[in-house]
Amino acid sequence: MSNAKNLLTIKDLHASVEEKQIIKGLNLDIKPGEVHAIMGPNGAGKSTLGYVLSGRDGYTVDSGAVTLDGKNLFEMETEERARAGLFLAFQYPVEIPGVSNLEFLKASVDAQREARGEDAITSADFLKEAKAACKQVNLPIAFLKRGVNEGFSGGEKKRNELMQMLLLKPKLCILDETDSGLDIDALQVVAEGVNSQRSADRSFIVVTHYQRLLDYIKPDFVHVLSDGKIVKSGDASLAHELEAQGYAWLQKEPAEDELEG
Amino acid sequence: MSEWLESAITRAQGINDWLLPKRANAIELLSNTKWPTRKAEAWRYTPLRSVERSVAKAINDVVGLSPVDITDLSAIELVFVNGKFDATQLTKVLPKGLSISLGKNLDSAQQKGALETFSSIKPERHLFGLVNDALAQDVVVVTVADGVDIAEPIRISSLLSQGGESHTRVQVTLGDGSRLAVIEDVQAQGDSLNTAFVEYHVASNAQLEHYRFALQTGSNISIGGSHFNLLDRAKMHSTIVAFGSDLSRLDTDIIHAGEFADAKLNAMYLLDGKELFDLHATVEHAMPNGTTEENVRCIAADRSRAVFNGRIHIHRDAQKTLAELNNRNLLMSNTAEINTKPELEIYADDVRCAHGATVAQIDKQALYYLQTRGISRSKAQVMLNFGFINELIDLMPNAALAEWVRPIIRERFSQMEVK
Repeated sequence: MSNAKNLLTIKDLHASVEEKQIIKGLNLDIKPGEVHAIMGPNGAGKSTLGYVLSGRDGYTVDSGAVTLDGKNLFEMETEERARAGLFLAFQYPVEIPGVSNLEFLKASVDAQREARGEDAITSADFLKEAKAACKQVNLPIAFLKRGVNEGFSGGEKKRNELMQMLLLKPKLCILDETDSGLDIDALQVVAEGVNSQRSADRSFIVVTHYQRLLDYIKPDFVHVLSDGKIVKSGDASLAHELEAQGYAWLQKEPAEDELEG
Repeated sequence: MSEWLESAITRAQGINDWLLPKRANAIELLSNTKWPTRKAEAWRYTPLRSVERSVAKAINDVVGLSPVDITDLSAIELVFVNGKFDATQLTKVLPKGLSISLGKNLDSAQQKGALETFSSIKPERHLFGLVNDALAQDVVVVTVADGVDIAEPIRISSLLSQGGESHTRVQVTLGDGSRLAVIEDVQAQGDSLNTAFVEYHVASNAQLEHYRFALQTGSNISIGGSHFNLLDRAKMHSTIVAFGSDLSRLDTDIIHAGEFADAKLNAMYLLDGKELFDLHATVEHAMPNGTTEENVRCIAADRSRAVFNGRIHIHRDAQKTLAELNNRNLLMSNTAEINTKPELEIYADDVRCAHGATVAQIDKQALYYLQTRGISRSKAQVMLNFGFINELIDLMPNAALAEWVRPIIRERFSQMEVK
């Protein structure tokens, strides 16, 4: 495994939001099939990392390099990154009234098929796949007809993110605080869904504040992110250490800005 | 006064038929009307220069125009070609209880009734409504007998050829407890000018389903109106779908003349290029216990201009009225313009009314979300715009019409650009 080529390579990444630097020299290598957990206090830059990697407007890369499957990520538009296999499961998925979930899901799948030179999937075939995915994440079929995330509870939104992941079959999934706002049952459903997708050619970055999620999704590596840098890395046991100690040891003085919710 | 209006009056003075008393009244009112400038509130954002410059002329020969085919829609076709009613296109055997006739062909008793109804709902303040009173000749009278449910919709099409001018007029009366659906449509070639007015009298317990499509674009001038009078427990559901043109103006008036009447109006307009569309919607709650729900949505791209004036007037006697007006607008470019003015005027103290208007740009967060799933920015824009409008399309009671208009709207969105 250790000789395999990296799926994702992040080299000395510096990035800012509204001219304030949040990521300050981040390095990370992820090989196919690996699950990396990124933990850290609020304001460390956990969510920012996902936004920078997916190319959100307003998030500026100041220096450093990121490659996905050997390709320069920053030369690609947001949609091209998605088609290259990057998937970001949002902490707060966006509600889009008027666009049906089914239409949205099919457009996503078709866009990625088109990028691979394949024809659009037929509506009948897609409906079958979507229904199966719905069932797997424990969402009623009726949710396919509703507006994207419209009026969904927090847990339903997270399960809808998971459903997109099942249908899009990405190479790299970034789960941004997927556990926030979930009760234990919902957490289990989401974790089972993620575990079912673990495979030798799919990698995960699990961003979380709490160790709890990592009881269900066992990481290969755990990294502690603090003030825009990875300050400590280890195996799954590091998560337990953090749970016991908290994050206070990281900070000589309390963070002034808490940019993340 | 403008030359255009003078010429219209002169032409109207030369017409002598059964509508003479009404026409004379309109001519008199027009003669005393000042041609509106931008100081006139009703025309403040909609200049009439293009009317003054119009070269459209009455075309006498009825050319072979026919309305576009709508898949899965079977309708009773009322077709006007350059303002002339083309009876040859009314091929259906009419169901029992429905009568359709040219006003001039009615017998004298019927004509007397039709004359009383003519222009009794459309308010006199509409300048081009008066022009239509004065110049419309083939006035079609539609009557549904009490208690009759007409299954097939009536489609009124106003077709114009290049450079043509037309003034079409229909009056529709729904008897007590009857049901009817009416579709109004304009299809116009370039440099044309058209006024198209329809008045609806909806008697007690009757139900009207109404559609007005104003999808003509380019160098066309269309000014028209749909006017509704609702008696006790009458219901209406109206859907307006419009693009813009050199000048496209629509006035609607909904009059709650009876108690417990219920009106729903959903309007959407999508403008591109240098198009202009103007909707003036007035609701008069004259009687108690009425309900009105109005949803108006606009997307304006490029250098287009949208105008909306939504007035709800609740009279002193109209207690227990429930009225809501919601207007939402999306701007797709820095050079597009949206002028919106919701007005509530309330003289009764026990009513529930709400109004709101918003102007926003496309939701960037939603755009980003769609892009993170691999959807291109341009496709994502079409989806979001479509979503904004689709909520109202979904409320159209006639599925065949909804299926027909969806791809037309999608096509329009694919041409509109975010700038």
